[in-house]
Amino acid sequence: MENNEAQLQGLDDPASGSAQSDFGRHSREVAYLEAVIDNLPVGLFAKDASDGFRFVLWNKKQEEITSIPCEQALGKNDHELFSPDSAAYFRQVDELVIARKRKFEVSEEIVDTPESGEVWLHTIKVPIDDVEGQRTLVVGISEDITEQVHASEQLAALNENLTEANQELKTTQLQLIQAEKMESVGRLAAGVAHEVKNPLALLLLGVEYLSGGIDPCDPNVEEILKEMREAVDRADKIIRGLVDFSSQRQLEMEPTQLCDLVEHSLLLVRHELKKDNIEVVTRFEKDLPDLKLDSAKFEQVLVNLLINAVHAMEDTVKPKLEIILSSAKLEGIERDEGLRTADHLRNGDEVVLLKLKDNGGGISEENLQKIFDPFFTTKSTGIGTGLGLSVVRKIIELHNGGIDVRNRLLGGVQITITLKVPARGGNELT
Amino acid sequence: MICRILVVDDETGFTKLLKMNLEKTERYEVRVENDSTKALNAAHEFLPDVVLLDIVMPGMDGGDVAAQMQDDPLLQSIPVVMMTALVSQEETSQDAVAQAGAMNILPKPVNLEVLLRCLEEVLAKKN
Ligand SMILES: Nc1ncnc2c1ncn2[C@@H]1O[C@H](COP(=O)(O)OP(=O)(O)O)[C@@H](O)[C@H]1O
Ligand SMILES: [Mg+2]
Repeated sequence: MENNEAQLQGLDDPASGSAQSDFGRHSREVAYLEAVIDNLPVGLFAKDASDGFRFVLWNKKQEEITSIPCEQALGKNDHELFSPDSAAYFRQVDELVIARKRKFEVSEEIVDTPESGEVWLHTIKVPIDDVEGQRTLVVGISEDITEQVHASEQLAALNENLTEANQELKTTQLQLIQAEKMESVGRLAAGVAHEVKNPLALLLLGVEYLSGGIDPCDPNVEEILKEMREAVDRADKIIRGLVDFSSQRQLEMEPTQLCDLVEHSLLLVRHELKKDNIEVVTRFEKDLPDLKLDSAKFEQVLVNLLINAVHAMEDTVKPKLEIILSSAKLEGIERDEGLRTADHLRNGDEVVLLKLKDNGGGISEENLQKIFDPFFTTKSTGIGTGLGLSVVRKIIELHNGGIDVRNRLLGGVQITITLKVPARGGNELT
Repeated sequence: MICRILVVDDETGFTKLLKMNLEKTERYEVRVENDSTKALNAAHEFLPDVVLLDIVMPGMDGGDVAAQMQDDPLLQSIPVVMMTALVSQEETSQDAVAQAGAMNILPKPVNLEVLLRCLEEVLAKKN
């Protein structure tokens, strides 16, 4: 401490020969200044650049940060106090500060200390010419940011955990979606088999006819071969439809025509529609833009909604299903009672709307609040799992779209799916 | 003697080939009706010796058609053979089918030999 004082006095030595009372006041000012310096909440130090960068100032906080006492630090240079690496780095910065005559800021530097181990510092160094301009000092202020650094490291680790957990959740969700789909595949299989048996029946009849020997003059032969070729195509199309539908892929967003997906899905449930004598009316706006969709997942959405409609129209005398595709600019997203919308869409977005209307039994106000809940079903076991709509909503969320379910005025349900048209050239839906 | 068969099935390709095969035997004359709601009319016009009926059809299913034939004094004596691509046993033994008085149910794809034998049996029983 004495040493410190001496150095301080050396810095600000008033002109010699001042009066006694001046000297008294002066020493009081020095003491005051020292108290201020020692009570600063930051480390303060100064090195004499003209004397091998030896320390000439070392305040209390600096002692605390480095766990090097002032007596030990003063008169020494960095190499005598710190590890060779640290010392070399400090010297490099000091020389830069002197050469450029400018402030230099190191937002994070690490110092090895004998007691506290590694300490992180935020340091600002400035060059100061002393009063006579004979010496140049490097004055530094260091703030101990070890805690912040550790906190942000912990935060980063936490964040990583969170990202991992999120990823896991996403994987689980995709597995759930897949499981629900396999459930549908099981249910659709009988209908699909039926649809395949019809072309097979035709093929068998063709073979029977031709195996009696082919008469080149028989006009039926050409016709039969044409029918057989078409039957093979038809069987292939429907089987391929089911295989594509059941494929297990991660989300794969590709430019897709929604009307193609609707046609494919209708093929998968064709048997169910035919069996219940359901009239299907489709109205597709011409030249709809491509959407970025995962086609297998989106077909799952459509199949679930179609099967729900089929179930709902079981007691309807003239069951009728309407599917309408149109484009629109989104405005005034309404919020009626009984309306449930996911919020990824904004007014002004260019969208494609898919409307699916049935004339079945509709949904009671009370149930309307629950239909998206997993396992909510009004159907008996073996017919409903209650997972359909919750999966539908999840898949639509994954596409950043919206779904709205409401009762129609004259009975039945209208479902509207809103999907954003990707900006041209951009691919924001990834 | 040439027997008359009415085929009611919405599968146009299948019925076309069925007609060709049956008429190739030169023992049958076949009329096809792809719209099941017009089946009764066709039966009245054609007065077949036997009706071949698909089960799953839009409009009216095979069970409905058979039931209406039962209620029709002119048609109730005409034997009916059902055809179906339905898979499971339980589906093909539906009450409606049984009650409609179908004498036979054939699976699709249908083996021509089996079909011809079945038709012969049905016609023999009728006479
Ligand atoms: N189109 C519809 N018409 C009437 N009710 C419907 C319709 N779609 C869904 N629901 C109701 O929502 C419930 C939940 O549907 P969902 O999640 O697909 O499960 P599940 O079909 O297995 O019951 C159904 O049980 C039914 O009560
Ligand atoms: Mg469902």
